[in-house]
Amino acid sequence: MIRLVWRNLLKHPLRALLTVGSLCIAMFLLCTLRSVVTTLNAGVNSAQQNRLWVISSVSLFVQLPPNYQEKIRQAPGVAETCKWQWFGGFYQNEKNFFGQFACDKPELLKMWPEIEVIDGSADAFVKNRIGCMLGEGLAKEFGFKVGDTLPLIGALFPGPDGAAWEFTVEAIYRPSRPTLDNRTMFFGWDYFAETFRAINGGEESDVGVVVVEAEKGRDITEVIAAIDGMFEGGPQRVRTTTEAEFQRQFVTMIGNVPRLLSFIGGGVFIAILLACVNTMLMAGREQTHDIGILKALGFTDSAMFRVLIVQSMVLCVLGGLSGILLALLSAPVLAQVLQMFFPGYTILPQTLALAGVITVLIGLFAGIVPAWNAARLRCVDALRSQA
Amino acid sequence: MFVPLSYNFRSLFVRRSATALTVLGIAATVAVLAGVLALRQGFTTMFAGSGRSDLAVFLRPGATGEGDSIFRRDLGERLIKTLPEIAADEDGRPRASLECFLGIRRSRVGGGETYVPVRGVQQQTFALRGEELTIAAGRNFNAGSNEVIVGQKLDGYVQDCSLDDVLTINTTPFRVVGVFKSEGASQSEIWGDLDRVMAALERDSPNRVIAALDPETDVEALNERLKNNEETPAKVLTERDYLTSQTAVLSGILLGLGSFLAAVMGLAAIFTATNTMLAAISARTQEIGVLLSLGFKPFPIFLSFLFESLLLGLLGGVLGSLIALLFNGVETGGMNFQTFTDVAFAFRVTPKVLLIAIGFATLLGVLGGAIPAWRAARLTPTEALRRD
Repeated sequence: MIRLVWRNLLKHPLRALLTVGSLCIAMFLLCTLRSVVTTLNAGVNSAQQNRLWVISSVSLFVQLPPNYQEKIRQAPGVAETCKWQWFGGFYQNEKNFFGQFACDKPELLKMWPEIEVIDGSADAFVKNRIGCMLGEGLAKEFGFKVGDTLPLIGALFPGPDGAAWEFTVEAIYRPSRPTLDNRTMFFGWDYFAETFRAINGGEESDVGVVVVEAEKGRDITEVIAAIDGMFEGGPQRVRTTTEAEFQRQFVTMIGNVPRLLSFIGGGVFIAILLACVNTMLMAGREQTHDIGILKALGFTDSAMFRVLIVQSMVLCVLGGLSGILLALLSAPVLAQVLQMFFPGYTILPQTLALAGVITVLIGLFAGIVPAWNAARLRCVDALRSQA
Repeated sequence: MFVPLSYNFRSLFVRRSATALTVLGIAATVAVLAGVLALRQGFTTMFAGSGRSDLAVFLRPGATGEGDSIFRRDLGERLIKTLPEIAADEDGRPRASLECFLGIRRSRVGGGETYVPVRGVQQQTFALRGEELTIAAGRNFNAGSNEVIVGQKLDGYVQDCSLDDVLTINTTPFRVVGVFKSEGASQSEIWGDLDRVMAALERDSPNRVIAALDPETDVEALNERLKNNEETPAKVLTERDYLTSQTAVLSGILLGLGSFLAAVMGLAAIFTATNTMLAAISARTQEIGVLLSLGFKPFPIFLSFLFESLLLGLLGGVLGSLIALLFNGVETGGMNFQTFTDVAFAFRVTPKVLLIAIGFATLLGVLGGAIPAWRAARLTPTEALRRD
């Protein structure tokens, strides 16, 4: 029976190939689009439960006064705090864009256990005043190595002598969870703050965001209420959110992208399903004559049913598998292309499983009508038909 | 002699289930392409389409947008007073206004957060805008008071943005006294008095100067002149160019997404069309034999089948466009990454979008029909007639 299936498929090699090809494309698209959506949600799903982001209630671009961190540290339930200050500089020219943050270095390493230093050392990063730590992807992209001097032009903050800032690469990190991307640069708050003071006649720099680690076992909502309550009367109101909520807001801000992608995915799915049903129907119709002969030779209805189902399955599974393979092979390239907007693009095993299940379903669905027709066919009618 | 076209029409009709499935496949591809293009069209038209070329935007040199442009107030005022290119109104006052701008955190009506642009303006701004902006409900804000007016798109989309609501910026409550109507991006903005908004945001510097220029002004030359000017350094561009520059990233993403999907799905659609045509031709081998023996040359037969496939594509294109037209005018929204603010816009299925969609579908049909048609044309009459 397997040979029969094989022969039938090889009878029209081009047609078989095209069907496999369209399924391959369908599954490739399905995996890719789905992965963009899961990548978007990855930050939300893996967010640290007890990390809270304290941001101005007005805007992410409005800074908090310098004394806020100290006050927040006094709030009940706060175990640790870390400043993040957006630096917004660029390397050589404005096209080389990546996130740079001035942070409290020891707290950063303590509060983000997902930072794994894979080259250089965390110690050297903390000790060197102008030391910085780069994400693996960033280091690879620009060819930065540990020990290199990295000059940045501060678009928002002029450097020590009014020109460029200099940093020494002391560590390269790899995030073990998608809460951080691998294209960010971190450096020390002290270097930033001292330079800022020197340029601005002793004035303290404001702080972008304060991240809080709540004490284990504390009711998060109480901690949030305590922090937000502290600054209700100004000078700058804050709104504290959990890390999951913070990430989710970024996702909802992108708006309807996930819905749009699902919509497109649906369109693709329907188009391909139709194509496969179409091919199978045509193949089934053309085999009417052969089926008549086989039935006359004593093949049962159920055997014919199975032959046609298996035929459809073979095509679909071949196509589906190659599509999944293509998606996996293209993942590193796509991750590179998409990193500005969807950092950390990865294909989850669940997505692959979903694609597999859909492949099998298409195979079944596309095969069932011709198979049913074949099983029902009386061999007299079949033989009479001119294929 | 060419094969009559009615032969192809009939054959598509006879094999209607296969035709329908192929057409649907192509239609789905085209609908997706047209949808993404319509989205891009809607976004750029809304955001940049209403930008005026007789208005100039002055930013801090090196700034990429209003958000990162900090224009010192004294410099701005000096610029307005001294720049000869700025037009004057009937009373001899310069037609220019300082504006401040910030995307502020707001809750959406349906839940979730978004960034809504708040703009502090001086009274001259309304003179500059003229008919572009009309109050749809309530009244305009009074200068110097804690009142704001909101763009029509925000009403019902963002919390505290309906008439008589109280909208709090940091610790300062503002009363929403009016809803305004406009064509461009400002329909998603909150407008208030420059000084009051700056006080609420605790800012000393506005973000830009907007001014009407004398019609003869060469904006590029002006930009060159002011770029390195000691007294009043500024980056100058027309409002239209400014708004267009703010759409580049999102519009590029949408174009990239649309092209990628169209290429990949189009390939699948070509495969389907080829399959359909192959089946159509193998079922009609005998007919081809008859045509050949009647004296039709291979080339007209090739053309005939190519035309049949083109028809498939065209039908798919028309159907796909109809599907896309269903979405025409549907409102959606998204983040403009460059301004970091939420913009509401609608799918706009323009004739250009439709033309691209139908052209693309036809191309798919032709490409899909090429191999089968070539195969058909290569048959010899005896061979074709011999097949059962």
